[in-house]
Amino acid sequence: MIDATLLVQMLLGALLGLSVYLPLTCGQLSLATPGFYAIGGTLAALLSTRVPALAGAAGSGYPLSSLLLEMLLAALLCAVLANGIGALVLRLRGIYLTIATIALVEILRVVSLNLEITGGAVGIFAIPQPFAEPWGYALWALLLLVLVCWGCQRLAATRPGLAMAAIRDDEIAAASSGIAIEGWKRLAFVLSALVAGVTGVVAAHFLNAWNPRLGNFDASITTLAFVVFGGSRTWIGPVAGGLALTALPELLRPVGDLRLIVFGLVILLGPALFPQGVVTPPLLAAVGRRLPAPLRRWLGLGPAGESLPGASAP
Amino acid sequence: MDTALQILINGLSTGAVYGLFALGYTLVFSVLGVINFAHGAVFTLGAYLTYLLLGGAVGANGLLAGLQLPFTLPFWAALPLAGLLTALVSLLVEATAFRPLRRRRAEPLLYLITSLGAGVILVNLLQILLGAEGYSLPTTALGSLPITLAIGGAQVRSVQLVLLLVAALVLLVLSLWLEGSRGGKALQAVSEDPTTARLLGIDSDAMIRLAFAVSGFLAGIAGGLVGLSLSISGPYFGISYGLKALGVLVLGGLGSVPGAVLAGLIVGLAEALVPAEWSGFRDAIAYAFLFAVLLLRPQGLLGRPQSTKV
Repeated sequence: MIDATLLVQMLLGALLGLSVYLPLTCGQLSLATPGFYAIGGTLAALLSTRVPALAGAAGSGYPLSSLLLEMLLAALLCAVLANGIGALVLRLRGIYLTIATIALVEILRVVSLNLEITGGAVGIFAIPQPFAEPWGYALWALLLLVLVCWGCQRLAATRPGLAMAAIRDDEIAAASSGIAIEGWKRLAFVLSALVAGVTGVVAAHFLNAWNPRLGNFDASITTLAFVVFGGSRTWIGPVAGGLALTALPELLRPVGDLRLIVFGLVILLGPALFPQGVVTPPLLAAVGRRLPAPLRRWLGLGPAGESLPGASAP
Repeated sequence: MDTALQILINGLSTGAVYGLFALGYTLVFSVLGVINFAHGAVFTLGAYLTYLLLGGAVGANGLLAGLQLPFTLPFWAALPLAGLLTALVSLLVEATAFRPLRRRRAEPLLYLITSLGAGVILVNLLQILLGAEGYSLPTTALGSLPITLAIGGAQVRSVQLVLLLVAALVLLVLSLWLEGSRGGKALQAVSEDPTTARLLGIDSDAMIRLAFAVSGFLAGIAGGLVGLSLSISGPYFGISYGLKALGVLVLGGLGSVPGAVLAGLIVGLAEALVPAEWSGFRDAIAYAFLFAVLLLRPQGLLGRPQSTKV
């Protein structure tokens, strides 16, 4: 059954799914989510094991204020880096962001494998624990997920989200309508990096150890599968995909070896068979009709017939 | 101590193989305008097939443990045969990852996703069937050639010379074919404008399949050559080459055939110049070039600038 440890992994998966989803809202595929996740994780591992001032009073657990500080620093670092890369590659249309993000993940992997401070291939061990029980992490990750979902919901319902949806549907038409396409794309990429970095901090403490393998190209595939499976038309899709696809291999232990083949099949066949993922706008509308009005409004599920921002067919 | 000539030959031979490999991306990119992310996996498959055709046995960890072909081919026959088989697999990738989306006129972004999926499946099938261990191609593959040759006072591994010669030969044949034959010209016409090409009586779908077959052949050959020179370190070894070749591709200019070759040689030479104490960072060189070219000359060395059509 689902225990607290699996629940934490599922929640972290949902957060990473949202990180892949954000650039897709304006039609950009970023495979850098594991890279920023690794930056957050490495930063947390380094700070919490090497800076005595963060460790708090002896005998008590790792203080939550230090965890928050790490998350803040990781968010800042990832945002600055993503802004720089975005400024460089988002002048160009098409697939340049995808290629540059692949390169970033590889550079980070090579560097962290070769630096002494990050422990090389072995990684960093004995990362202090702010929570004694997995349930503490589950609650913390859930709070973070709700916060990010709320942010995504506000984004989709307001001007930035509408601009991003317009860019996704037709970049040139959006530019001709006076939408600053480069700026919005960069914002989406920066937000994606920020979410991944903060998730990495929580993951590093939860896993108790960090090594460069956690941010490799396989992780790019896994997180991409979350979004393709769940659908990228609303933020509910990647959350559902992240939760379901993280739980699936754990619940079906026998297919352990086949995990990546299953994910490969999802992203090979998904776009042709289920172009909108499992969570489609009609499904959301059907669910929305059964929910109480305030909750429906909060989730952005308008009454039947009214489509969601960015929910028009491709 | 390496002499300048040694570094030059090592760099050029590695670079020529990068060029071959990046050319496979270029061919598909020029007809479809998308990148085939399964290319690295096809490269890996080429290396494994060359190993098997040379009479190598499967190790103990895969489902096919102990499998060995009943015959042993010489390298000169095994390499092209492996290339032909990978061309077939590349056609299969086209049929599963590209054709269904092309029928639906889906957005180009989705091709990236589906071809990544095809690559992941290929690599993991290799891992399950053949195991995760590394393989070395037999040193007897090159027949009576000595391990090293003395050229102008430098000791050069003869494998490197074979790499350079084979790559040069394939590049020569490919460019003659592209420039001089009906098929090559038709391919160029489709890459210029698929709709006009179809109006002129060129079967665009057939040309797309042709591009995938040739690209798969090039990837298979490149895989076999790298396998011969460096050994196969496991089913994932092609992924890092595949990603590195993306850097080569952008450096040369997306869609430019001479650009891919030139950029391959540049990256190969730059890697050969990395001193031994920094060798851990050698794999990052292609990406450093990538970011530099995006900053300074986004269309690549020999590419055409991006135009905005309204």
